[in-house]
Amino acid sequence: MAEKHKPAPMVDEVSDFEILEMAVRELAIEKGLFSAEDHRIWTEYVHSLSPAPAARLVAKAWLDPEFKKLAVTDGIKASLEVGVDWINDPPTGFGTPSDYCHLRVLEDTPKLKHVVVCTLCSCYPRPILGQSPEWYRTPNYRRRLVRWPREVLAEFGLVLPDDVEIRVADSNQKTRYMVLPVRPEGTEGWTEDQLAEIVTRDCMIGVAVPKPGVTTNIPKPVHPALRPVQHDH
Amino acid sequence: MSKPQYDRTHHAKKATGIGDPQCFKGEAGPPKFKEGDKVRVRNRSDVFYTRCQVYTRGAVGEITKVCYESPAPEDEAWDNTENPVWFYSVVFRQQELWPEYPFPGDTLETEFTEDWLEPA
Repeated sequence: MAEKHKPAPMVDEVSDFEILEMAVRELAIEKGLFSAEDHRIWTEYVHSLSPAPAARLVAKAWLDPEFKKLAVTDGIKASLEVGVDWINDPPTGFGTPSDYCHLRVLEDTPKLKHVVVCTLCSCYPRPILGQSPEWYRTPNYRRRLVRWPREVLAEFGLVLPDDVEIRVADSNQKTRYMVLPVRPEGTEGWTEDQLAEIVTRDCMIGVAVPKPGVTTNIPKPVHPALRPVQHDH
Repeated sequence: MSKPQYDRTHHAKKATGIGDPQCFKGEAGPPKFKEGDKVRVRNRSDVFYTRCQVYTRGAVGEITKVCYESPAPEDEAWDNTENPVWFYSVVFRQQELWPEYPFPGDTLETEFTEDWLEPA
């Protein structure tokens, strides 16, 4: 009887890829390629990254035509100006094998809209854009975006006129892409800080366009602390 | 009998402080194609590993960028970094890739190693 009433498992089953990752990681540690401590440091580094430097790069490019030229021709060099050193920042000292040091900044125009995907896995410019969102890694997004980009963009709420060329960038090799969207109307006279706020992560993947009033600062409820920090100075 | 010794850190030694693909700069010789060249993706079979998507095989596009030098994925997958090659960014009309695609203006850009491309 008890056989028939087995409780549902508390956690999802581990996927084949997770098992593969663990096996490769443990082998690499046993072989002395890196230590468990190294692995912990790299993981912590990757999780500390955010899209903030990329938003800053876009805001700077909107304000400074010379910087825009640099960003479009040499993304790695332009990244240095927003505090990201693709080569020396990662604790490995040469990037991680999936974050090769080659960044292309794809410039949108009113008649050309870029959107980024990696059909083969989930290549993403992590040093400057942080961890990729979950949906970016799904087979659904990866296989549909190249074939039905307008439909997929519409699902994100972005409907573009037929006369705008949509260019899908499939990062299948060592280049990592980010989108430099068009500066929206209604931002005349804004400072770099103000502009950077409306450049959300999705705008730089290309599935959204910046809009005044839509910022990275998602409103969150603020509750007073029950035991507030006491400062004695 | 002693165990064979493999140098599994040669890539890290080469790329540290320089970056990858920067560490292969100058190793592929002169590029065969230039920006603006029309190319066809070769429709050949792949064995074991490739990063050349099947949906581009046989399609004609235009080179927009001569990108960098690096070992081909087919070699790098086996840790062979001896023969770096040129990588090119190619733009295709979506209708070239998917004949029933309804919007003639839309395009797709992706990269190829030199050996996957032929003049068109």
